[in-house]
Amino acid sequence: MESNKQKVSNGYLVTEQDSTGQTRILYADNGACMITGFDLDTLLAADPTQVINHLPAVQVTLDSNHVLWVLNTESHTDSEANHIPEPDNTELLRQNAVLEAALLEAEETNKAKSRFLSNMSHDIRTPMNAIVGMASIGLSHIDEKSRVQDCLNKIRTASSHLMSLVNDVLDMSRIDSDRMTLSEEEFSLADLIHDISVIVRPQAAQKNQNLQIDIGMIHEECLLGDPLRLRQILVNIIGNAVKYTQAGGEIQVRFAQKSAPDFKSEQLVSPSAQHSETADKVWLDFQCEDNGMGMSPEFLQRIFVPFERVQNAATSKIEGTGLGMSIVKNLVDRMQGEIIVKSEEGVGSCFSVELPFTIAPQNQKPLALPHGASILIADSRTAQAEQMAAYLQDGGLIPIHMESGMKAVTWLTEAQYENHMPCALLLGQDLTDMPVLDLAAHIRQLAGREFPILLVSEEDWTQLEYRATKAGVNAFVPCPLFKSKLLTTLSELTYSGHNSDDTYTNRNRDLGGYRLLLVEDIELNQEIVVELLSVTGIQVEVADNGADAVNKFLNSPEGYYDLIFMDIQMPVMNGYEATKQIRKLNRADAANVWIVAMTANAFVEDIRLAREAGMNEHISKPVDPDCLQEILYRQLT
Amino acid sequence: MQPYQEEYIANMKEIAGLTARKKAGNLTFEAFESEYLQSREQLELKIKRNMKLLRDQLFPALDHLLETTPEILKELQDFAGKLLHGQSTTDSGLFCLIHQALLNLARLTKDKNSIIRELYWLGIGRHNQCNKVMGLEFALIENYISAMRLCFMESAAYLKYYDEIEDLETRGYILRSRANISLGQFKNPSEKIRLVKQTLQILQDKDYQEKAPELPWDRYIYMTHQQMAASISYSKTAPMTPEDIADVMESVYLIYQRRLQEALLKNEMPPIRPAFNYYAIEYYCGLSNLQELLSKIEHLMDSADLFDFSTDNMYALISLPAFYCQFLQQYPERIPERKEYIASLYQRILDYMDAFPETSENDTLFFYLRQLAHTFVETENSISYGDFLRKIMMRFTPETYVHSYMVGNAAAVFSQIIISEEPNYFDDMAHIKTIQDLKEKQQIISDYAMKCGLYHDVGKLSFIDLYSQTARQWLEEEYELAQLHTIAGESFLDTRPSTHSYADAALGHHSWYDGSHGYPDTYKRLEHPNRQMVDIIGLMDWMENVTGIRRLYTGVEKTYDEAVEEAVALEGRRFSPLLTTRLRDREVAEQIRQALADGQREAYHQLYLEEKHSMKKEHS
Repeated sequence: MESNKQKVSNGYLVTEQDSTGQTRILYADNGACMITGFDLDTLLAADPTQVINHLPAVQVTLDSNHVLWVLNTESHTDSEANHIPEPDNTELLRQNAVLEAALLEAEETNKAKSRFLSNMSHDIRTPMNAIVGMASIGLSHIDEKSRVQDCLNKIRTASSHLMSLVNDVLDMSRIDSDRMTLSEEEFSLADLIHDISVIVRPQAAQKNQNLQIDIGMIHEECLLGDPLRLRQILVNIIGNAVKYTQAGGEIQVRFAQKSAPDFKSEQLVSPSAQHSETADKVWLDFQCEDNGMGMSPEFLQRIFVPFERVQNAATSKIEGTGLGMSIVKNLVDRMQGEIIVKSEEGVGSCFSVELPFTIAPQNQKPLALPHGASILIADSRTAQAEQMAAYLQDGGLIPIHMESGMKAVTWLTEAQYENHMPCALLLGQDLTDMPVLDLAAHIRQLAGREFPILLVSEEDWTQLEYRATKAGVNAFVPCPLFKSKLLTTLSELTYSGHNSDDTYTNRNRDLGGYRLLLVEDIELNQEIVVELLSVTGIQVEVADNGADAVNKFLNSPEGYYDLIFMDIQMPVMNGYEATKQIRKLNRADAANVWIVAMTANAFVEDIRLAREAGMNEHISKPVDPDCLQEILYRQLT
Repeated sequence: MQPYQEEYIANMKEIAGLTARKKAGNLTFEAFESEYLQSREQLELKIKRNMKLLRDQLFPALDHLLETTPEILKELQDFAGKLLHGQSTTDSGLFCLIHQALLNLARLTKDKNSIIRELYWLGIGRHNQCNKVMGLEFALIENYISAMRLCFMESAAYLKYYDEIEDLETRGYILRSRANISLGQFKNPSEKIRLVKQTLQILQDKDYQEKAPELPWDRYIYMTHQQMAASISYSKTAPMTPEDIADVMESVYLIYQRRLQEALLKNEMPPIRPAFNYYAIEYYCGLSNLQELLSKIEHLMDSADLFDFSTDNMYALISLPAFYCQFLQQYPERIPERKEYIASLYQRILDYMDAFPETSENDTLFFYLRQLAHTFVETENSISYGDFLRKIMMRFTPETYVHSYMVGNAAAVFSQIIISEEPNYFDDMAHIKTIQDLKEKQQIISDYAMKCGLYHDVGKLSFIDLYSQTARQWLEEEYELAQLHTIAGESFLDTRPSTHSYADAALGHHSWYDGSHGYPDTYKRLEHPNRQMVDIIGLMDWMENVTGIRRLYTGVEKTYDEAVEEAVALEGRRFSPLLTTRLRDREVAEQIRQALADGQREAYHQLYLEEKHSMKKEHS
């Protein structure tokens, strides 16, 4: 200790006076700790007057509230030299400048955080106002069911907005504290892009924007990576484009892939080095361009700084925390990708993202397609029809394209007369002369029940399902169109008959014959889930904790429960432990019963732990009714 | 035909008589009302009998078509032929059902000639349905048009195998189907004109003609020219290209010349319809201006004879004014100088309608009047649009008028009960909120309820044969079609100042309170400040429908007490709890029952007075 003190020449302290006149130590360096003999925490909590008063020190006023104290060790440790030595001014000034810069930075951060708090309180208050207001309106019109329903819908919208705010903040905090981890799991790029399209299209449609999603060259659809975080990146960027583009504006989204060698050759890396490193990699190339309000060059510099928002976003009442882009940038960096933003105020913005992914091992069976057979495409959108035709040609089929329903029906009548019917009809989004489902209904009659009719559409299937199946459509292929989806669906239809056993057609089945065990300790949550499940008709039994669940399972006949929904954090026994015990039971259904984890802790670690405990899948709280039903129908029908 | 088929046809004719307006003659009001009520009873018996005939005989026959004999098939075709006869629509729904079944059979047996024939007839049936929905927004009716066009198109596709098809009649069906592809509305008039032009080229091709000289080629070509000439009406929705106008012009001249020669030979007046087309095409070509065109139309209308009930004269008196008003709607600056003329024009039309004899031309008269209702120009000098619609309802669909009046009367009584308990109940309507005096408020609400009731079903004018002439319960397809009466009603009422405030009642009276069911989707209850009144109209309409004559078409049949019970059971879902709560009160329920009964009697009384008024007009 002593020797340490000997080695230190100066120590530095910064004190700050608040608005009430109270002074506290804001900053202290190692030197100050050594000179005073306190550790840093004690020093920061100490009364500055008590610490500084009996020490020789030089006082430098930094601003009206802050003072820099330079403590001298010699005077304190060397009783013989009982005077304040002349400070080395050069060093002092240098350190002073460093401290000033540090202070400025701290103040900037403080300001940004204050701004954030102010924004957040506004952003939180807005949906909260809606929730409180709508709840009051609902209560005052409690007899008017439709009015109450309207209020509840608005409350739900406001709540989900609030939830996304909280999620953003949590994500940012995870990033800040370096707790963000990425998963490495297999996912389908086609499914992911379709999911994104289903999320963002209605938002764009609400603003009457033309959102176009184009798919370029895709080498590999099955990838390894973190689909959740990838979706977060893409939804954030496209969602921002929708938010910051005026009603009726244009948003163009493009997806493509570069195989790793292509990409690396552009980067001028030596071929020998690239091969081993990149043979199983592919780069996803994503671009989102809009003609929205754009950004100033000044803002563009700070776009990835947390809590920053475009100046006029607030005035135009666009909701947001200013965290989205910062999260995106962090995620892209962690994925070892790159993000480039170009923008011009009043003209629009263009976000380009490149991300590397590992190609998932190929384990798909070869598709059984009627090679050499003709297939009729009825679609007035030339670009989409050309894409379909190219994919079909890759599958060994001969595409015939018609733009109108009248031409399609003429061609099919002739084909039937001449006995060269195509293997299927692919219906696109639009026809020049009639709605596609009108054509489907007639072709179903003309060509008979066995003739496969596929609908390729960017609309949400759940919205179309009733009308489409009534018109005679056998299967649905979502847009943006992927070759694998198209050919797989076609293969299923043309070779194994009409597969009615898909998830799209099984909704609305009564699940009255099935039994579900809900393991949840909080009564209100039990009530909510039971209410959400009641529409399906499924019989629900409730266990109050993990131990209760194990007992209930143990005391039931084999196969009694078809599904278990398991909370994680519960008293007596948690969900992980309960699942482990159920899986260990010596009975046939213990290994097979489908167990779904329900938890608010939707971190990668939680998911991993759930899987390790023997749970089959995971849903996060608050429970999404659609998600709940999707699991039920998928597993039980 | 089989006996059940003969009986069904005979019943249909009787039903047409039973649902038609009754002549007052020298009858007292009581006798007049009694005649209506007796007709209702007979109608009920006839409809029930028809349902039994179809259930016991026709439907089993259609189910077993594969095992049936050629004779029975021929009888079915004959029966269907009687169901849709030229201009006079009888039962196009059943017509389509039978031909759809016959088409399915033909497809199963791969009988090409039958497929072509049945496609043609099914297309004709669908065309009839398209005529019903004419005037509605294209997007709403596009599926009916597509269904028709696809039938004709598939049949016409066999043109490629014309030489291989030996049956002459089948060749005729192919050519007629080809010509009919261009029937109905198109998104783009150029598409229609292109198709008609192609058809003309095919029909004029000597190669086709020589292979089937027995076919009436001249008639086919002339009718196709007529279609081309009729395309002129499309110019109102989208501009035509110069090429389109040239094509239409050629057909218009050809038809005009031919009709003129025919008239000269018969020593008759030059025909009016081709003359109008002739003038119109001159206008579209720039050979005359709008002022000249309007003057020429006025001349044609003025030259029509008020006592001539022929189709051509009817066209001049009613259909031509519809086109005339359409031009005025497009160029409203031409209206002020013609206010008096327009008023006299409508008056003449109403006089003509009153004097019109009960003949088979009644359908055409109604068709033209409906056309006029779509293009009606409302001025302060002329009859109000609401009164015009009311007169058409009374004349052509008296039972709908009676129903509407009953609903209006019951709604007025119910709204009075509510407002006496809750004076602010209707205050979502801004103009009601400002009224301080309760008596004045009550009066205004009562009038408004009455009018909403009176006009809520005005859209049924587009589906008159479904609502007033159907001889049986509706088929599923017809039920879907009938639902459009809400949108049709709104489109009638919304655009004219005198009826605008009743449009929501027409649109929303079949929607459910909680939005979970009902129709149309376009009615969003909470967006309408007059939703409380629409709720009342919806409830009263339902009560009258399930207890009145309409129950026969939908199959939902209840006594009044059962209806009250059911309405209460549907509280918060179909009906507003604020209404059903009151309906629980037996006294209120009884007042509503009485209001419906009083409304019925008053409606018949008004019909009686209207008939007396018509008689006077007829005699004078």
